[in-house]
Amino acid sequence: MIWLTARQFRAQALAAVAVLAAAALYFLITGLQMHHTYTADLISCTPQNDCDGVLRQLPETYNAAFHLLQLLVLAAPALVGIFWGAPLVAREIETGTNQLAWNQSVTRTRWLAVKLTAVAAASIAAAGLLSYLMTWWARPLDAINGNRFDALTFATRDIVPLGYAAFAFALGTLAGLILRRTIPAMAVTLAVFIGIQILVPTAIRPNLLSSTTVTFPVNQATASQANGVYMGRGGAEVYIAGLPIPQGAWTVSAPPIKDSAGHIVAASAHLNCFPGPGPGAGPGAVKAGGPDFAQIGACLANYDLHETITYQPASHYWPLQWYETGMFVALAGLLSCACFWWIRRRQN
Amino acid sequence: MSALLQAQGLGKSYRHREALTDCTLKIPPGHVVGLVGPNGAGKTTLLKIACGMLAPTTGRIEVLGEQPAAGPAQLARVGYVAQDTPTYANLSVADHLKLGAKLNPGWDADLARARIDQLELPLKQKAGKLSGGQRAQLALTLAVAKRPELLMLDEPVASLDPLARRAFLRHLMESVADNDTSVILSSHLVSDLERVCDYLIVLVASRVQLAGDTEDLLAQHYRLVCTRRTESDLLGNVQVVWAEHSDRQSTFFVRGDTEPPTGDWVAEHLSLEDLVLTYMERAADPGHRSTTHTTEAAR
Repeated sequence: MIWLTARQFRAQALAAVAVLAAAALYFLITGLQMHHTYTADLISCTPQNDCDGVLRQLPETYNAAFHLLQLLVLAAPALVGIFWGAPLVAREIETGTNQLAWNQSVTRTRWLAVKLTAVAAASIAAAGLLSYLMTWWARPLDAINGNRFDALTFATRDIVPLGYAAFAFALGTLAGLILRRTIPAMAVTLAVFIGIQILVPTAIRPNLLSSTTVTFPVNQATASQANGVYMGRGGAEVYIAGLPIPQGAWTVSAPPIKDSAGHIVAASAHLNCFPGPGPGAGPGAVKAGGPDFAQIGACLANYDLHETITYQPASHYWPLQWYETGMFVALAGLLSCACFWWIRRRQN
Repeated sequence: MSALLQAQGLGKSYRHREALTDCTLKIPPGHVVGLVGPNGAGKTTLLKIACGMLAPTTGRIEVLGEQPAAGPAQLARVGYVAQDTPTYANLSVADHLKLGAKLNPGWDADLARARIDQLELPLKQKAGKLSGGQRAQLALTLAVAKRPELLMLDEPVASLDPLARRAFLRHLMESVADNDTSVILSSHLVSDLERVCDYLIVLVASRVQLAGDTEDLLAQHYRLVCTRRTESDLLGNVQVVWAEHSDRQSTFFVRGDTEPPTGDWVAEHLSLEDLVLTYMERAADPGHRSTTHTTEAAR
């Protein structure tokens, strides 16, 4: 059975190896260049203490590559689900060859078990290799950006891509088994994977671990630490940006400022505090920070307003990686069980 | 020795149609069984249930005394060649033989190799590039070389030209005779089965119409031709299967003893084809047990 699985998977595996080799080569060449520049920049800027300015250049140089590579690493599990998972059983059913395979002296449970295990291992290995390369490649950029919780960054580093690959592969296999056709199974796999990738960073990841909430009273002291006030919805809401939360934390929510009763405060209610372009300037009108902004803060302090920020501290990065990977591996396990249940259901 | 296939009240229904209805059968061992019926009669459904590809909706079935596809041991005892004889298009003939060897503990490599040589199938050829007849032969080789006690083939010759059809059936019979294998073979053509089967099942409109040893069935059925009369005027211990009436003459297809019923009629045995067609005709027209032909003159 292992021989048959290997023989059937050979062409797909070779294609994957070719793609991975090309990707690895690109990662290595550009990565070594970038790492070299980063080290040289660090050495040159440290004595002058102007590293912020010097290092900002690097992410700009690699901006396009950074985003495209992140997309590639995120797309890899989807591709695995579509091209390895969906056809795994559906293709056999379409061509009728499952009738040949299931009538050898091997139960279909074992047939599925070997196929699932072998190709899932290959899927996880491929995603793991890409994730390792990506994490290594982007290390200087991640250090400069300081935002490891960015939705695309978090999803394409360290161990979560392995969980995604296991999940997408099991998803594709189950879709193929139930739909019995390759193309619809591919479409369903892609749709569900995209849905999950939107749902998880917005609704699930922030709640995997309990977050920290800090409340800042709106006054001169707070305002002088911030770097701007933003008006939303034509002045119906006011946001304060750049309030001091711990380095590297992930801001999960930063709602508009509220009064002591918990109601959202409109800028128009305190127009006297806002010099310059008022709410009439339209949504998103910005008043820059600095001394002016400290004055706004001092003015608003009379009204007992506050800004509440919820965040995941930087120390939650690895626990979140593990939890999310575990969650996807568990989902992959459930989907695999569903595959076995489905394939045996047709038996007496 | 347990029955080849034993079914009780076996049925399979899909959302809008019955594929197999109340099928009760007991096929004794050591036969080459022909399963005949028109397209869509339920032959494939019955065979798929028998090899465990499909689960029945109702009833019970045992093949060689065990549940179909109950485990590796049961799978090894039953060979199955599905309709259109599927093979892996991008695997070579040699790959298929290796597949058979790896997946079947009882694999007879010499037999498989001998058959492939005899058929002159090129070992390196991808199965997708073989002709329909060659592919059917390859699928049959895989099923035969696992050395099953029972071999089931679903319309194996349906897509073959007459020459390939004959060659396939000859090879099938040779392997079966050499290895003492029982066979269940389905077809919508009686002529395919006539030469090879010694047991017959007629399946029409999802129901089994007739089942039995071919020789017994042929010995028990007669065509009686006599002057026009109704069924009740027929005397004797016979069961009318079907009747045809013309202006002056009535023809009755009857099942009785092995001795021909005596009376004022001409009694003759039916050919296998006529026998099958009679039951098919009856099944296609439930409620009626006869048909009346009007002649040119009467019109």
